[in-house]
Amino acid sequence: MSAPRLRSSTARLALLYLCGVVVGVTALLWTVFLLTQRAMDRQVDLVIQTEIESLREDYRGGGLQRLVDVLDQRVDDWGRLGAVYLLLDPQGAQLAGNLSSWPHVLAPQGEWREFDISASEHGREVRHPVRAALVALDGNRLLVGTDLSERRRFMGRLRTTTIWGIALTAALMALTGWWFSRRVAGRVRGVAQACERIISGDLSRRLPLDQSFDEFDQLAGAVNVMLDRIEHQTAAVRATFNSAAHDLRGPLHRIRARLESVLHTVPANDARSSAMEATLADLDRVQQTLAMLLQIAQAEAGGGVAPEPVDLAQLARELCELYAPEARERGIHLAVHALRPALVSGHQQLLAQLCTNLLENAIKYVPGGGHVEIQVRGAERHAQLIVGDDGPGIPDAARETMLLPFRRLERDAARPGSGLGLSLVAAVVRLHHGRLELSDNHPGLRVSCTFPTI
Amino acid sequence: MQILLVEDDVEAARHVGSGLQEAGYEVQHCADGAAGLAAAQAARFDLLIVDRMLPHVDGLALIGALRQQGVPTPVLVLSALGTVDDRVEGLRAGGDDYLVKPFALAELLARVEALLRRASGDVHHVGVLRVADLELNVLARRVTRGGREIALTAKEFQLLEYLMRRVGQVVTRTMLLESVWNLHFDPQTNLIDVHISRLRQAIDRGFEVPLLHTIRGSGYVIREPGAAP
Repeated sequence: MSAPRLRSSTARLALLYLCGVVVGVTALLWTVFLLTQRAMDRQVDLVIQTEIESLREDYRGGGLQRLVDVLDQRVDDWGRLGAVYLLLDPQGAQLAGNLSSWPHVLAPQGEWREFDISASEHGREVRHPVRAALVALDGNRLLVGTDLSERRRFMGRLRTTTIWGIALTAALMALTGWWFSRRVAGRVRGVAQACERIISGDLSRRLPLDQSFDEFDQLAGAVNVMLDRIEHQTAAVRATFNSAAHDLRGPLHRIRARLESVLHTVPANDARSSAMEATLADLDRVQQTLAMLLQIAQAEAGGGVAPEPVDLAQLARELCELYAPEARERGIHLAVHALRPALVSGHQQLLAQLCTNLLENAIKYVPGGGHVEIQVRGAERHAQLIVGDDGPGIPDAARETMLLPFRRLERDAARPGSGLGLSLVAAVVRLHHGRLELSDNHPGLRVSCTFPTI
Repeated sequence: MQILLVEDDVEAARHVGSGLQEAGYEVQHCADGAAGLAAAQAARFDLLIVDRMLPHVDGLALIGALRQQGVPTPVLVLSALGTVDDRVEGLRAGGDDYLVKPFALAELLARVEALLRRASGDVHHVGVLRVADLELNVLARRVTRGGREIALTAKEFQLLEYLMRRVGQVVTRTMLLESVWNLHFDPQTNLIDVHISRLRQAIDRGFEVPLLHTIRGSGYVIREPGAAP
């Protein structure tokens, strides 16, 4: 599992479960293995001890000769079954048994010995592990043992099976965990993607349901109901806005029409004519405010038309060129630094309006002789559009509220302006998933808009 | 020239209609979409002026229906909405130009003239444009007046080219903003005046006959000397 997958909580949970189950299964199977091994060892010892008891019985009843006879017979009968015998007299001479010599024992443990004997089977030298007990019978030494090969093979197989069991369990757990976390991560990703689309204004989008009626479906269902209501309300607001626009522009249009037709009949130097022209100019301002409000509403509602690639640097250069003569007339130094292209996915006209609003504000408030600078910086993931001036700026406390509609500073009350310029800037930045920052330019105002690039 | 005006606001329609008639056009008016569509299908017009929001058949649906029937008549869309989207939708539906209410009559007349001229092919597509002794070479990007070279910025050149291609035709500020700067909203400051006065300085200063004229209340025009205003 790679690092990013571990960032998923389900993957972490699955990994935790995997560790837990593997530890548990290992402990269980290994205990079974050890217990089996011990039981088998005990059984071996018991068989040997029983055999020794029976041989002692024979010795006590019939003496050494009887013992030798019994041993000879056993070697003949059982030799192939893996029993090992050796009887030596006090001088070390072999009296009976199927071992050719006293075995070389590395580590004696009380009366118990473990050693290997070699035997020739099908022309090959094969070593057999043997466990044996040693008994002294009036100076004679008797060794009774058994071949452990079969048992060792069995234990080996058991060990392999145990290890495979653990490995398979771990693999199965890992697979299940991976599948589970992938499934959950997939659903969460689906929800996240849907949310992103909704945040960017596509209110008709809904969270995906898979009809499994699980917790995810219940949650998504609840969120969808919530979205239905939000969409309904937004649609109602938008419809209200549209009909307000329509209902306001109709009368405005008629007022303008009447004024124009009356103005037509009045001589140009008449006092009435200038009053009517002033009224027309006011109508223009009302119209602009209305247009700006509608544009803000539209930007907040998602921008409508599909976004396209827009080069902020080119936009900045062109708009700077548009404002340059105006700035020069007012004695303001307007500079642009936007050499490298900075492509963002967006709404060309709204971004252009964002730029013009910032430039207009700067040019409006900076006194003659002042400076306005527009910069576009393109980084790997973000493009930054900065408009800075050395005008009066905005006091720290007022910066946040300036982004709300119709907010203006008291000192600017006498100047023309709708108080909507920065609200539109904020709405456009939000629409483009950007970040808007108003800061002190020491002196003046510095507005920085950061957008994700394509 | 025959113009069909489809507009449900009767008073606004009367105003626009009389303005158009005064400018020498013949105007037929329909107050709803269905009647407008029927009229547009029944007779051949040189231009349609269609309000976006109409009773019965929506303005955009009307244009769409006509375009589907292969009617190529230029259409000027009028709208009370005026957002960027609304404009895009209007043009996508088959409109040729778009005007937001309330508009000045002069703006409407300028756009009507521009559309009619464009439809009749009366926009100069030649590489060298001449008005009196002013000459603009589009390919060489050179401007001379009376043989004297005039240095212009790229945008001034574009502005002059736009005006010279429409000799004698009044061009409004918003038309220039839209065509030369590709801005489909009104900046609050009147920027175009400043650009025009700089252009005028460049081409008319020091010459006896001015070619670039400001038409009060409507826009600008480049005219042959002696041509009727």
